[in-house]
Amino acid sequence: MKDQIHEKERTLQFQDLIEQHKGILLKVARTYCRNETEREDLFQEISIQIWRSMDRYNSEFKISTWLYRISINTAISFYRKHSKRQENTIPLDENTPAYADENTEKETQLDMLEKFINELNDFDKALMLLYLEEKSHIEIADITGITPSNVGTKIGRIKEKLKLRFSKINKL
Amino acid sequence: MNDLELKKLWQTLNDKFELSLAENRSLTKELSNMKVYNFISSMKPLKIFTILAGIIWVILGAIIVSNIFLNAYTEASKFFLYSAAIQILLTAIALVIYIYQLVTIYRINITEPVLKTQEKLAALKTSTLISARILFLQLPVWTTFYLNENMLENGSPVLLIIQGIVTISFTIAAVWLFFNIRFENKDKKWFRMIFNGNEWTPLMRSMELLKLTEDYKLEK
Repeated sequence: MKDQIHEKERTLQFQDLIEQHKGILLKVARTYCRNETEREDLFQEISIQIWRSMDRYNSEFKISTWLYRISINTAISFYRKHSKRQENTIPLDENTPAYADENTEKETQLDMLEKFINELNDFDKALMLLYLEEKSHIEIADITGITPSNVGTKIGRIKEKLKLRFSKINKL
Repeated sequence: MNDLELKKLWQTLNDKFELSLAENRSLTKELSNMKVYNFISSMKPLKIFTILAGIIWVILGAIIVSNIFLNAYTEASKFFLYSAAIQILLTAIALVIYIYQLVTIYRINITEPVLKTQEKLAALKTSTLISARILFLQLPVWTTFYLNENMLENGSPVLLIIQGIVTISFTIAAVWLFFNIRFENKDKKWFRMIFNGNEWTPLMRSMELLKLTEDYKLEK
C-alpha cells in the first residue's frame, strides 16, 4: 500500500516535471536528431532516463541544469547506439544552400543553422544549444563539466565558424 | 549575423519544431513503457541472444567437461579434455566480465556533468574490448581439441609438421592480439578490419568519444 502511494506520487511528480520542462527535452532531441522518428525515440529515451534518475536529484543544482545533463548525456549515448542511421543524414554542401530558389532568405538561414549544428561534434552541439538557449557560462560549465573560461573559448570558436558559414552564403 | 539575430533564428526554429512534436506526445503511453524498463529491456535482442547463447554454451560445456574429468578421465583424449576446459574457462571469464561491464554501464549516474559521464561511459564501453581479447586467447585450442596420442605416435610426419605450424601460428596470433587489441591501436588497419561489423560500431564510436573527451578537457 505504502509502495503504491509512493509510486503514484512519483508518477505525478514525473508528469509535472515533463509537462513543465518538455521544452528542454524537445530542444535536445532536435539538436541531436534531424530525423523525426529518431527524435521521437530520443524523447522517449530521455523521459525514461529522467524517470530512472528521479531519486538522484540534487537540489544543489537548478532543475534545468539537472534535466539538461540527463538529456544531453542520453542524446550522446543514443547517437552512439544509432550511429548507422545518423550517418545516413545528408551532408551539408555549403556552396549550395538548400531550397534557395523556392524559399525566403530566412528559411535558407534556418536550414543553414540546422545543418551547421548537425555537423558539430557531440560536445560542441551541447555548447551551441546551451549558448542559443542563453545559459550563462557558469551554468553551461555546470552542465557540461568544463570550466567557464573553457566554455567561453569554445563557444567563441563555434560562433566564428558559424559566422564564416553565413558570410559565405550571403556572398552567393 | 550578430548574436541577437542568431538567437532569434534559433527561436524560430524552436517554435516550428515544438508545435509539430508536442502535439503528438502521449505521456500515458510513455509512463507504461518506463515502468517496465529494466536492464534486460535496455538491451538489443541480438545482445540478449548472444549472452544467453554464451551462458548456455558455458553451462553445458562445464557439465560435459567436469563429467569427463570425474568419470572418464583415463579413457578420454587429454587433448580434447584440456582444450575444451580451456575454451570453456576463457568463455566464462569473458562472459562474466562482459555482463559486469554491461550492468555497470546500465547503472551509471547520468545526472553528472556531460563530460564526466561521457568519459566514464566511453571508457567502460571501450573496456569491453577485454572480453574480445580474452576470447582471442582461445585460438590455439581450436587447433588441438581433435588430436589424440595415437595421431602423434603413428601419424604422418608431414601432417604433424603442418599441425605444429598451425598451432604455433594460432598461439602467436592469440598472444599478439591479446596484447595489441588496445584503444591506442584503434586507428590501425588490422584493428579496423577485426572490428568492422555493425555490432562493433558503438564500440568504435565510444573510442572516438573517449579521444574527444580528452581533447575537450584541454583549455585551448
